[in-house]
Amino acid sequence: MSAPPKPVPLTTVESTETSDSGAQTLTLSVGPQHSGSGHMRLIVEVDGDIIVNVAPDPGYVHRGIEKIIELRNIIKSIPVIERPSIIDASNLNHAWVRSIEEIQGVEVPRRGQYLRTLLNEMNRIMSHLYWLSIYGVFLGHTTMFMWPLGDRELFIDLAEKLTGARITYSYLVPGGVRRDLPPGFAEEAVKRTEYFEKRLKEYDRIFFNNPLFTSRAKGIGVLSKEKAIELGCTGPTLRGSGVDADLRKDEPYAAYPELDFEVSTRPDGDSFSRAMVHMDEMRESCKIIRQIVKKIPTGPIRRKAPIVLPRGVAYGRVESARGECSFYLIGEGGDKPYRARYITGSYRNMAAIPAVLVGNRLADMPTAWWSIDYWPVEADR
Amino acid sequence: MSAQRTAQEEDPVATLAEGLSIWVGKLSDLVKKVVDTGPIRNVINWARMYSLWPVNITTACCSAEFGAASGARHDLERFGVLPIGSLRQSDLIVIEGTITKKMAKRLRMIYDQMALPRYVIAMGDCAMSGGLFHDSYSIVNGAHEFVPVDVYVPGCPPRPEALEQAIIMLQEKIRRSKVYEQG
Repeated sequence: MSAPPKPVPLTTVESTETSDSGAQTLTLSVGPQHSGSGHMRLIVEVDGDIIVNVAPDPGYVHRGIEKIIELRNIIKSIPVIERPSIIDASNLNHAWVRSIEEIQGVEVPRRGQYLRTLLNEMNRIMSHLYWLSIYGVFLGHTTMFMWPLGDRELFIDLAEKLTGARITYSYLVPGGVRRDLPPGFAEEAVKRTEYFEKRLKEYDRIFFNNPLFTSRAKGIGVLSKEKAIELGCTGPTLRGSGVDADLRKDEPYAAYPELDFEVSTRPDGDSFSRAMVHMDEMRESCKIIRQIVKKIPTGPIRRKAPIVLPRGVAYGRVESARGECSFYLIGEGGDKPYRARYITGSYRNMAAIPAVLVGNRLADMPTAWWSIDYWPVEADR
Repeated sequence: MSAQRTAQEEDPVATLAEGLSIWVGKLSDLVKKVVDTGPIRNVINWARMYSLWPVNITTACCSAEFGAASGARHDLERFGVLPIGSLRQSDLIVIEGTITKKMAKRLRMIYDQMALPRYVIAMGDCAMSGGLFHDSYSIVNGAHEFVPVDVYVPGCPPRPEALEQAIIMLQEKIRRSKVYEQG
């Protein structure tokens, strides 16, 4: 990666200048008001049509969550922790309660573990579907915007039955979960996942086997295995480059050791592979949900845990939809942590944005950079 | 100075232009009055009500619910709300959640660049008053601090139904308002 370019003023086109090779380059500012960006800005330097340098400009959604956590007690922090990735709320919540339980030494009942896993997997599907819908609209494929968002409501309804909220659940609390399974949930979950798997085949037909998509995604935004490891990527971005790394298998937590699922990897490392990893993960999550509702044990869902965070240090991490989400937590005996370091998947994958974009054409930018599944709110925290 | 002024007063062209501008002003006042009282106002307001195109700016996490509202189940296009890439063609900013200090400057710039009439919906508790992040060091406590807001939508995040309700309220507001006093 070359040196970061100097900050540019807020105009769309800054200036034309001659680079070392003698070619004229142009600096473009993509975002934050742009249909191909999110709440972030990419400072893109192009030579003709080829991207020569990219500098991500994050921080548009930096809300100082690490500081806020120090000001609230550990239960009141839960909604704050969910907000960075609102479409993947329970996974972030899981990392938080895991780190607290590690310090407190609280054991979660098995039924509670299963319920946590259930909501995590539903969240993974919802998050991937949201990603897919935005991917569709970035590529000008409006059907792929509407379908995933419509199917996402299937799981939102299911999660609403279980937790009482559409997307922000605060369902996982230290010691277990808040509510038990409602009656009729298991049948409904099986019905909806089976219907959804049929829909995924239709997605393949209309989008993933469509030349409109494959010609724009195959071989675009290649991130090699070595580069992905060097940049510290995580989640689907890393697995799309052929690295078999998934915390659910490597460091099993909650109910994952007792469940049967596969980690999807693709060797190519291009936009298409990363997209297909997301698709495979949704299929696997459907399987996991069906297994959970089938073999969920009976018993209590929650064990009493103190609100006090004893003196100690813990590192809790889970595999969220966008990669590894971790908390480094220091307790000092009060009800508030002394310090909480909060790392999310998008934050780590930000390093991959320049790597996948440089060398591609400007028109390939949406395909390449959104395949990383970068959620700016989660990265800025 | 005084010599110049007398010269200007005696200049017949300047006198004519001054008189003409008074008459043009009176005429435009008349036009405004006719438009605002007659059926023309209803037609213009009807057109504005059902083509509220929000600009493509997202400030924070309420964008997930905005996305859900634009999607298949709660199709916002039923109300004529179609997210559009260009801010010159858009009429509406939906401020989706927390506004950081860094984003507030850009939001104001976007608001200034939009053509009149323009409307603002502040979505979520954070855009109303800071909400969950009210004690953070890097946010602005409410959208009203830098742009005029038409409709507030409470909730963290508001459900898509609440956003639909806000759109209907904004349409009602446009329907009742005068043509030249909007935006």
